[in-house]
Amino acid sequence: MLSRTASDLYWMSRYLERAENLARMLEVSYSLSLMPQDGRGNGLEELALPLLITGTLDEYLERHGPLHAERMLHFFALDANNPASIYCCLQAARTNAHAVRGRITADMWENINATWLEVRGIAEQGLGRYGISRFCEWAKERNHLFRGATFGTIMRGDPYRFIRLGTFIERADNTLRLLDARYEMLGEDIDENDGRPARSYYQWTALLRALSSFEAFAEIYRGSPNTRKVAELLLLRAEVPRSLRSCMDELNLMLASLPGENGRPAQRLAAELEARLRYTSINEVLDEGLHGWLTDFILLVRQLGQAIQTSYLEVA
Amino acid sequence: MTRTFYDEMYLANGECRPHYREFARWLADTPDELLAQRRREADLLFHRAGITFTLYGDDQGTERLIPFDIIPRSIPASEWRVVERGCIQRVQALNMFLADLYHDQRIIKAGIIPAEQVLANEGYQLAMQGLNLHRDLYAHISGVDLVRDGDGSYYVLEDNLRTPSGVSYMLEDRKMMMRLFPELFAAQRVLPIDHYPSLLLDTLKSSSPLDNPTVVVLTPGRYNSAYFEHAFLAREMGVELVEGADLFVRDDKVFMRTTAGAKPVDVIYRRLDDAFLDPLAFNPDSMLGVPGLLSTYRSGNVVLANAIGTGVADDKSIYPYVGEMIRFYLDEEPILKNVPTFQCRKAVELQHVLANLEHLVVKETQGSGGYGMLVGPAASKAEIENFRARLIARPEAYIAQPTLCLSTCPTFVENGIAPRHIDLRPFVLSGKDTRVVPGGLTRVALREGSLVVNSSQGGGTKDTWVVED
Amino acid sequence: MRLSISHDTTYHYEDQVRNSIQYLRMTPHDSERQQVISWELNLPRPVRAQVDPYGNILHVLTMDEPHESIILGARGQVEIDEQRECEHEDQSPLPFLRTTRLTEADQALREFAQTECASRRDRSCMIDLMNRLNAHIRYQPDVTDVKTSAAEAFASGKGVCQDQTHAFIACARSLGVPARYVSGYLYTDSSDHLASHAWAEAWLDGAWYSFDVTNCLTRAERHLKLAVGLDYLDACPVRGMRRGGGVEQMHAHVEVSPTRVQVQQQ
Repeated sequence: MLSRTASDLYWMSRYLERAENLARMLEVSYSLSLMPQDGRGNGLEELALPLLITGTLDEYLERHGPLHAERMLHFFALDANNPASIYCCLQAARTNAHAVRGRITADMWENINATWLEVRGIAEQGLGRYGISRFCEWAKERNHLFRGATFGTIMRGDPYRFIRLGTFIERADNTLRLLDARYEMLGEDIDENDGRPARSYYQWTALLRALSSFEAFAEIYRGSPNTRKVAELLLLRAEVPRSLRSCMDELNLMLASLPGENGRPAQRLAAELEARLRYTSINEVLDEGLHGWLTDFILLVRQLGQAIQTSYLEVA
Repeated sequence: MTRTFYDEMYLANGECRPHYREFARWLADTPDELLAQRRREADLLFHRAGITFTLYGDDQGTERLIPFDIIPRSIPASEWRVVERGCIQRVQALNMFLADLYHDQRIIKAGIIPAEQVLANEGYQLAMQGLNLHRDLYAHISGVDLVRDGDGSYYVLEDNLRTPSGVSYMLEDRKMMMRLFPELFAAQRVLPIDHYPSLLLDTLKSSSPLDNPTVVVLTPGRYNSAYFEHAFLAREMGVELVEGADLFVRDDKVFMRTTAGAKPVDVIYRRLDDAFLDPLAFNPDSMLGVPGLLSTYRSGNVVLANAIGTGVADDKSIYPYVGEMIRFYLDEEPILKNVPTFQCRKAVELQHVLANLEHLVVKETQGSGGYGMLVGPAASKAEIENFRARLIARPEAYIAQPTLCLSTCPTFVENGIAPRHIDLRPFVLSGKDTRVVPGGLTRVALREGSLVVNSSQGGGTKDTWVVED
Repeated sequence: MRLSISHDTTYHYEDQVRNSIQYLRMTPHDSERQQVISWELNLPRPVRAQVDPYGNILHVLTMDEPHESIILGARGQVEIDEQRECEHEDQSPLPFLRTTRLTEADQALREFAQTECASRRDRSCMIDLMNRLNAHIRYQPDVTDVKTSAAEAFASGKGVCQDQTHAFIACARSLGVPARYVSGYLYTDSSDHLASHAWAEAWLDGAWYSFDVTNCLTRAERHLKLAVGLDYLDACPVRGMRRGGGVEQMHAHVEVSPTRVQVQQQ
């Protein structure tokens, strides 16, 4: 397959996954911002977290001044001038899809095109009228549909593999960042008698829900969430679909099945990372310091993305 | 001046021509409401499939639908066979002319065509001089534009030997007709055309000396007016659609960048003009081409279809000599007529042209797409005077022809059905054999009385039938 | 006269170049006027020589591996026949009536040529044209660049040998005289002018005659011809493209000197 085609497929799915992750991020922050804040402000700090995670807070402050709930939500979700907004991600995904219309199935194309047309409609109405939770639900649902259409209709060839690569690189990065941000906000676990268990409980629960992992957590650990358990679940458990380990398994599998010699650097790095996760225990992670470990891994995932880019996707 | 037009469907006495009788019966039997509904359906289907073109000079890059008319242009098979032979004869002679021009130049030495007219021509490419091409083929894909005069005889209006387009509309129009009106195809035998992509692939493969060459379609990109066609043909042939940036040259070979590494490319069906092919040899600002392509081509390590430098043979200043070419190379009489042409570079002919501007069609020798053109009978005084000035300033850049009557074909217009002028572009494929799929693209000038059928000037298309008589 | 040439060009790039391709026309070939005694190119990779559409010797250098610099070296000796007035060729000169963006004659150039030559189309008229152009476009480096057209240089009245040559070609062609661009080396005693040089040739009486507009010379006696073409772009020694690399720095070192034959034979 042409590198340019692979690149369009890969970025199409990266942008779609990113749009979904942003919606998940927004959902958890919005719901937490509505919680009692223990006298720690009015929830604006919580609403600003997604901007912080995506590195767009400075741009927001520059363009829209001080933190303001409605403006922040709009900026993050529907602002056509913010290239990191959900709106722009969906637009970018649709542009990539348009370039490879002949390579994806009609079901996939119609799906992604409809998503784009709908989000334009929503943007016209405004987030306030449409409803924030409803919007987040909508974004997730559209992605579920696209994934279903992809899974159900496209041939299992290289196009499929590059679509999967895009999804899981983006998802790995997202899981790492969400965990890191939530951990930073919460600080180290505190004694249970500290009097603030409720807060940490809600925070971890919200994160788990954002990553659709609450049920998995309940089934595997059956207790209240804490750093150790949440980190283990989201980093090392292979059976949790949005965990780092799952993402790396999938990336490794896809890369290993691509033809050609030119992908060696990417294939090797993916295999290394996969092995590292497979044989690491949560104790080692925590001993190293969770934040440091996450920061390192975010970099490694970025390197892997870079390696995929240079090995397979570069055109000019 | 009274003009008589040849109508494709009706005789002068209003009677229907035999090969249209089945259709006329069907048209009479089909309720208007149903026809209207099917026409809307066709529009919708074309839109949904994205069968569009982009207009040059439109900053928005807006994609437009080419109007499609559901009344087919029908040609009896016996008549078609003559047209077919004529097109093949013509393209064979043109290919022989190019091979001769880029080698021994016998036709110049024989004094049939003046040397300066070809060698100083913009379309002549020094890079091709002395180069040997597989099968001596230059124009692998050609389009011959035909019109019919008042008495119904066919005339060649121009040859298209560079990157003729429109074949995707020919194929899509047929698909649409078969989808909307399958009963029509059951009622009579219309010769099939849907094997064109496989013939094209066959032609492209046979342009290379290799057994199973890798073929690609090279497009200028998504914003080109014919992008839909490039993507369509690549998909139908099952080959890669590449842009210049997807290809690169290494050690005198062309490769494409794929996910499995560099893959050699043997045949490039390029839909890109000569000037943009290689920024190191031609237009240095071209971002659309492949640096190094020309030297690789000259080394014989890649085939370009069509070859570089075919433009010299379809130039309007060379057009008057095609009949002579046929006699010179094939020792045959031309089957299809040329439109009588005045060469304005000749003083005597220029005088005649200037004296008769209001009756003539004046064309730029290098122009295409109906832009640099004057249709005398339809032009205003100011337009005529404007062209007079241009002719006097640069006579060598123009030719003039009498205004042909151009046949008409019934066409759906705002108030029902009315005759509109049409032309015909059959597509000729030159490989091991020279072949034409029956029919071609029929373009129709939708404005009443208009003789300009180009899609960029508001023309539409019709399905073209060759029916057994 | 025997000229000895040593020409080294070094390109340094700010960043790594991922890959590059160059069309090199740095090798002279034998003709009536010049005989190549020895010539050697030093390129980063071995490259097969080809002949380009104008009959020039062309090397296409493709570099796939990332690189930060390219060094191109050329050296050799060429015998020049100082007495020869013109050169004959089998190829038709008619393609050299065609115009290009760089050599298109605008109204001003056409009138200039017309005023100078009227109905004359002989060598003396071309010489007059050359002298007049030399006066009209004064030699001044760094006011024009490789993209400057004949018309632009003519309008500004300043330029280098490339511009003067383009203007001459534009005038000649507008008069119906085939003319072409020549790139090569010039041996001079002074250091005012670069040793890399450009001049024109016009087709008169069935042969190519040289016109060095910059030096008002009608005989290419100290000129070593590398390549010809419709304009600078066709004939220039190096024409390339690259991916990556950022800002480029080019250093050229050219030495052209007469060699005494006896010394060589020792």
